[in-house]
Amino acid sequence: MARIGIFLCHCGTNIAGVVNISQVREAVKDIPQVVLVEESKYMCSEMGQGGIREAIEKNKLDRVIISACSPRMHENTFRKTVADAGLNPYLLEIANVREQDSWVHADDKEAATEKAIALTRTAVAKALLNQPLTPKRVGLTKRALVIGGGIAGIQAALDIANAGHPVVLVEREPTIGGRMAQLDKTFPTLDCSSCILTPRMVEANQHPNITIFTYSEVMSVSGFVGNFKVQIRQKARHVDSVKCTGCGICWQKCPDLVPSEFDTGLGGRKIIYVPFAQAIPNVPVIDMPNCRYVKHLEAAKEGKKLPPCRICEKLCPTGAIDWEQEDQVLTEDFGAIVVATGFKPFDYGRYTEFGAGKYPDVIGLLQLERLLSASGPTNGELKRPSDGAHPKTVVFLSCIGSRDERMGKPYCSKVCCMVMAKQAILLKDHDPEIQPYVFYIDVRAGGKDYEEFYQRSQREQGVLWLRGRVSKLYQDNGKVIVMGEDSLMGRPVEIAADLVVMATGMEANDGAVDLAQTLHISYDTHGFMVEAHPKLRPLETNTDGIFLAGTVSGPRDIPETVAQGSGVAAKVLGLFSKDELATDPTVAYVDAMRCTGCFLCAEVCPYGAIDKEPSRDGRLLAKVNESLCKGCGLCVAGCRGNCINLRGFTNQQVIEEIMALCR
Amino acid sequence: MTVNITEQIQEKAREILSSGQVELIIGYQRASDGVTARPAFIRKAENVAKLIFDQTCTHNLAKYAIEHRGKSMAIVAKACDTFGINVLIQENQIIREKTYVIGVNCPGVVEVSFGQVGDKLQYRCQICQEHAPAVYDYVAGDPVEEKPLGFDPYIKVKVLEALSQEERIAFWEKHFERCIRCYACRNACPQCYCTECVVEQIDPDWVGIPIQVPEKQIFHVIRAFHLAGRCIGCNECERSCPVGIPLSLMNMKFSQDVEDQFGYKPGRDPEVCAPLATYQPDENLGIGG
Repeated sequence: MARIGIFLCHCGTNIAGVVNISQVREAVKDIPQVVLVEESKYMCSEMGQGGIREAIEKNKLDRVIISACSPRMHENTFRKTVADAGLNPYLLEIANVREQDSWVHADDKEAATEKAIALTRTAVAKALLNQPLTPKRVGLTKRALVIGGGIAGIQAALDIANAGHPVVLVEREPTIGGRMAQLDKTFPTLDCSSCILTPRMVEANQHPNITIFTYSEVMSVSGFVGNFKVQIRQKARHVDSVKCTGCGICWQKCPDLVPSEFDTGLGGRKIIYVPFAQAIPNVPVIDMPNCRYVKHLEAAKEGKKLPPCRICEKLCPTGAIDWEQEDQVLTEDFGAIVVATGFKPFDYGRYTEFGAGKYPDVIGLLQLERLLSASGPTNGELKRPSDGAHPKTVVFLSCIGSRDERMGKPYCSKVCCMVMAKQAILLKDHDPEIQPYVFYIDVRAGGKDYEEFYQRSQREQGVLWLRGRVSKLYQDNGKVIVMGEDSLMGRPVEIAADLVVMATGMEANDGAVDLAQTLHISYDTHGFMVEAHPKLRPLETNTDGIFLAGTVSGPRDIPETVAQGSGVAAKVLGLFSKDELATDPTVAYVDAMRCTGCFLCAEVCPYGAIDKEPSRDGRLLAKVNESLCKGCGLCVAGCRGNCINLRGFTNQQVIEEIMALCR
Repeated sequence: MTVNITEQIQEKAREILSSGQVELIIGYQRASDGVTARPAFIRKAENVAKLIFDQTCTHNLAKYAIEHRGKSMAIVAKACDTFGINVLIQENQIIREKTYVIGVNCPGVVEVSFGQVGDKLQYRCQICQEHAPAVYDYVAGDPVEEKPLGFDPYIKVKVLEALSQEERIAFWEKHFERCIRCYACRNACPQCYCTECVVEQIDPDWVGIPIQVPEKQIFHVIRAFHLAGRCIGCNECERSCPVGIPLSLMNMKFSQDVEDQFGYKPGRDPEVCAPLATYQPDENLGIGG
């Protein structure tokens, strides 16, 4: 005979205001094997918990039912409570009479009471079949992988490394630095972006605990928290990074120029190149498809002749050019993974009414950053792309690819208003005679000193902010005509602009969805990765040991991104402060006597938690890797032969619950 | 034609048995009634003359391959039977490397019952549009010309679908009333290979003991679901049913849905993952409008 204690929580008036607790008490007190029913105003309070502990000891309870809020809320709290009283924590069962009852049936108290009774009775039926479970302990590798070498990734890597743990920083581009390296100045202080970023880049590069893999991508991830195995592909640079001194003679003498990705296509770069002067590592990459020598080799295959070039190879003083270099795949062990792969600016070419990206003097925010930057393609001189003329009238269009259902981007990109204010002020700084106009829907300047900064652009710098949308742009006689509306004045506005800047919003970066799938973490409809909880667990994912920092999970400004970089480091360090990890025992297990080895379970498992193990007759049968299993139950539902069961949620228990409901 | 295929099979069987490549041939031999066929298990080269193939060879021998898994064996398989073999390979029930498939270009089989051979093709053969084996190591018989069917292979399902819900429930209740839960359908099915079938499990007892319509319904619905996207339409279930329940209708309905939704037919290629076991983010489930 079991000795069951039922604890009914009032949750203030959350539950008791709807559910008639004394009626519930009456209804459940005579269920066989129930020896005690108690109430508390707040079961989760210290007093409530004390009452549970006392009751367990005094009445020798061996099953505990708590009829309260969702187990997602307080299951862990109460598991500790019963464990403190000497009971196995998995003998506790929670009936969710708040989220699933009182909150949703507040308008029908009678039915809510009836449901509370049914839910509590169900919990009793399940609890009777609960078995004591014990977590397993596994070791962990105290080494972190940071994916993405922008400011978020750099900050996270530095903070983890400074605490004494090795970090590998993987960056897809030839250099770390990310988007912040492309910016001219930062709002609202107007300090030079690269001046504050590059010291961090150098620090990361020189840090004894940080290994940087640039021009590299994560190919596959297996394992689980504390014990990830990651394959990293290092793309061939065709330059030996050990021999290369970064002298620069190769890229000075390379004869060909193509549009520079770093300068957003406004400037040129060589075929052998470093993206920008302060690149880390200062080792160039050969853009093979555009290289003359590669073209020569390909032409030779077809029997044609092209000059072979190879100037870089001839001039390199250390012989660092390596045409034979191949991609390398490294397999590394990590205990935690930080995803900080950032964003990309929205492609404004999708707006056909604004020239579909074909008007040369209609540019995006990032292009204007490069035009304003002293290290940009114009060396900081403001020249518009079409004819190099100095613009006098510059019009900004806000919410390009933000707050626009038509483009499938209903969200606000958060920083564009402030970027426009900053750029307008910078334009004024460059030449006080420039007149910036900003068309806006409404200005979002939430952030320390942001509103003041925006006000300054209006009051001190004479930037004209026009509330309204622009309907059309067209080119006319060297100008871009902006047809808009001033909705405050209620009249149409037409401006002949020299330069139009589209305030492009933030979009999930290329490859974000593929990466999320590789990592088995969730992403939303826009490709941003999803936090474990939007408010209380913003840095965690639903996969233990994988964390998010910066714009990978949604639009953010630099201070917030850096804060997330540090925050994520705290999460990783918290994990690394342990020497072993306890695994949740509510996982699936296979009945090997029944298993037919069809491996449908392996097909449906989202976590790759099904291992193949040879049986005595040599056939492969399924076995659950308990460290990988999350107890989602998909395999249990999928198995035709009912050969898999879930500890703490067995088929038998579920059936007993259903039977209790039907009674 | 009959002589031809039989001789080809016998010759191949003799060759691979005497060379030691396989230890067992699963094929067909004449049944004791003298007119129909029954499964044959040949282990010695001198016995291969027993093997036959003609339009009475209706059994899907893939079922026996599961029983003999682990052995090196050869199996005589019509086109549809090879689909069943492919599903079993896909689900790791038989080992391709150890299974020598003697595929048959199949012109279709006729209605048979003990001692009787009909002159009409079985319905599944009338609607068959794939006469060549999908997996084989050797093919017997000449290729059969694939002719357009001229009517919807799922026409029987469509007729049933046209009925109202009440009429459909009545239709199935009428048939399930006769079911005696003998499980012949399950035992004949090459895709039913569970060590212990859920309907026979007692903890939990998914299906109750009474031989009443609800229990029978549950059994048939479980089986239909377990076969969804896996049934290759060999119709052994319906052929083996002693009370003549039109089980193929239920299986065809699922086959039609899986084909419509995913463009998938089971057993054509064991490398292609079964659609009901996977999820592709871009797949259109045709639900929610």
